[in-house]
Amino acid sequence: MSLQQSGIFHETYKEDMAIFQTPFIKFWMIGFFIFLAVFPWINKPFNSMFNTNTLYLMNLIGIYIIGAHGLNILTGFTGQISLGHGAFMGVGAYASAILTIKAGIPFWFALPMAGLITALVGMVFGIPSLRLKGLYLAIATMAAQFIIGYAMRNWSALTGGSTGLVVSSPTFFGIDMGTDRSYYYLVYTIVIATTLYTKNLTRTRPGRAFVAIRDRYLAAEVIGVNVWFYRILSFGISSFLVGIAGGLWAHYVLVVNDEAFGIWLSVQYLAMIIIGGMGSVLGAIYGAVFMTLLPIMLRIPEHALTQVYPGVFAIFQSLTEGVFGLIIILFLIFEPDGLAARWHTVKNYWKLWPFSY
Amino acid sequence: MSKAALGSKWIVLTVAALMIIAIGGLGCQKAEPPKKAEEAPKEPIVIGGIFDTTGATSDVGQDYAVAAVDAADYINANGGVNGRPVEIIANDYAYKPDKAVELYKTYKDKGIFLIQGWGTGDTNALKALVSKDKIVYISASYDSLINDPAKTPYNFYASTAYGDAIRAAMQFVHDSGKNKVVFIYPDHPYGKNPIPAGKAMAAELGLEVGPDQFVALNATDAVSQLTNMKQFNPDFAWIGGTVASTAVIIKDAAKLGLDTKFLVNVWGFDENLVKLTGDAAKERVYGMGPFAMWGADVPGMAAPMSMHTKKHPDDSHTVHYIQGWSSMMVMWEALKKAETLDGPGVKAALETINDLDTGGLTAPITFTPTDHRPNTTLNINMIDADGKIVTVKNVTMKRRPEWLGQ
Repeated sequence: MSLQQSGIFHETYKEDMAIFQTPFIKFWMIGFFIFLAVFPWINKPFNSMFNTNTLYLMNLIGIYIIGAHGLNILTGFTGQISLGHGAFMGVGAYASAILTIKAGIPFWFALPMAGLITALVGMVFGIPSLRLKGLYLAIATMAAQFIIGYAMRNWSALTGGSTGLVVSSPTFFGIDMGTDRSYYYLVYTIVIATTLYTKNLTRTRPGRAFVAIRDRYLAAEVIGVNVWFYRILSFGISSFLVGIAGGLWAHYVLVVNDEAFGIWLSVQYLAMIIIGGMGSVLGAIYGAVFMTLLPIMLRIPEHALTQVYPGVFAIFQSLTEGVFGLIIILFLIFEPDGLAARWHTVKNYWKLWPFSY
Repeated sequence: MSKAALGSKWIVLTVAALMIIAIGGLGCQKAEPPKKAEEAPKEPIVIGGIFDTTGATSDVGQDYAVAAVDAADYINANGGVNGRPVEIIANDYAYKPDKAVELYKTYKDKGIFLIQGWGTGDTNALKALVSKDKIVYISASYDSLINDPAKTPYNFYASTAYGDAIRAAMQFVHDSGKNKVVFIYPDHPYGKNPIPAGKAMAAELGLEVGPDQFVALNATDAVSQLTNMKQFNPDFAWIGGTVASTAVIIKDAAKLGLDTKFLVNVWGFDENLVKLTGDAAKERVYGMGPFAMWGADVPGMAAPMSMHTKKHPDDSHTVHYIQGWSSMMVMWEALKKAETLDGPGVKAALETINDLDTGGLTAPITFTPTDHRPNTTLNINMIDADGKIVTVKNVTMKRRPEWLGQ
């Protein structure tokens, strides 16, 4: 249930469709954007608090958010499960690396082209979705993971084989974009753009078609939705976004090799949107933040313990992995609809408080 | 109150409680008593550690990480770096390259200029960044691709390169009067990178090479690969895995009754392999040994032994402990010689190391500004009929210029 504050009356369709409807929300969103804008300049205290480079984490989160939006369009909105998303991210990374190194195309053109190439590859692997659903499709897309992974390792002439490819960081009118800080602005510009795109996509005709296919594809077909077209389109858009994420990752880490794009990454993406909230734009963001930060948060007590018992750090580190798994299990049991749903509940609770009946 | 509302109240309370704990925790950290002035040691030289203690190569990574931490204590007990202690931050990255990058960025942010790193995958993933940031990266990956300073100026390691080890193995096959070999390795940078060097050497020596076989690092059986291999029936097979996967291959080979003998790369051969394989390995497994085995009768063994007795006398160690230890000793030598304590300073100091005597833990180590191959000498060890590891040969490969970075 979506609650609307009393006293707000929409007089035009435009007002009715606005994403940020109340001045209160607008105020907080502006505050949030200001925080995002100044974060690279104030991150030092956070670094020591979390004992990590928070700017790197923010960049990583940003990149994952873009990829998670992609998977969310496919799985959350269209209901097509994919276990090949990690490999698609790899396609984007390799594509932009190869385009910049071997074809000499500047990063700024290579990145969208990498997105398009990934979209193409994604659509090819999306073809089974015309016949397969659910678990069957999951396995079919997992095959993409293995085929692409094999190609990345063994097509040495193109991908550099197991050594990978070394790329250079992008420049922007002579400014080196390779520092954590400048890359942050690049990543978050794209994060904001893709978030707005995803949010709006879900409100358009294709977006509605995606949801219709997810909820009951037969009914969707009956009312005239071209199910095949939209399923492939969903694969295309989804792969495009994750390809962009891959390209960004490549030019941030500066080396592309296949190890980073294994099945684990695909599972991680799936975990992001499940934990964040499937079929919710905010959910992808929450999920990416949660999955990236949880291991870091768990490292704080581990770090403290290691300082007290230095000899047994290996044991604490294995414990952290276990706790990470446990938290995810508990999460799925107690909040299967994800963080976005939980946030919604909390918000509504305070909106209604103290008259919650 | 509705169930949902009740739930959200719990969430709010939990978050509040967690925040209180977190703030309390931070408070505790601050509440540490300040050190007295006379006790205050000189500012330590902080070294970043990227180790695998829980991931795919943790079977060999744990001992290495423990050794690095112990060696830091040893260095501090023996005068540190010109009076300054060293402090190693030991972090596990579970063999995940993205986590290695995160640790790397964290270290860089802390102003760390020297990292003790781990595997081939992450070392490769970081090589562009370390060159760019001028951070010295001493890895446990002895990948030949990172020993050409023209390409990777800030990468170092303290062992015979994998490329030279695999060439030595081919030479050994040739010298034994045999000529059929097969390569078994994981489809993974650590396994794959030395293979071209091995094949080139095999071709040069006129050996017959059979079809490659992939066995993953976490494999639990290798029967199908060995059955494939049996058709070719090689005299020798090269194994480029870690101890766990090597043990699997050797046990399955015994089960299938193969006559093939095995040549194992440095990370796949240690004291645990004997325990894991039992009779299966006796008189048929050879290990490439750039390092002295744990407890070997060499003068350099006294130092690691002393730390072992002092810190964890009940633990058992392997050759991988010596590997971690040696890496730290080379680093110590460079830190002592460095004119400036930063990345370029330590790099320059490392490149002046000439015939560094590690007391027999490794062959003497030399780096020059144009050649980061530490040495080209190694032992070929064998598991004998009693299950003991014995050295059968000491090999020195030529330092051919075309083998640099190969």
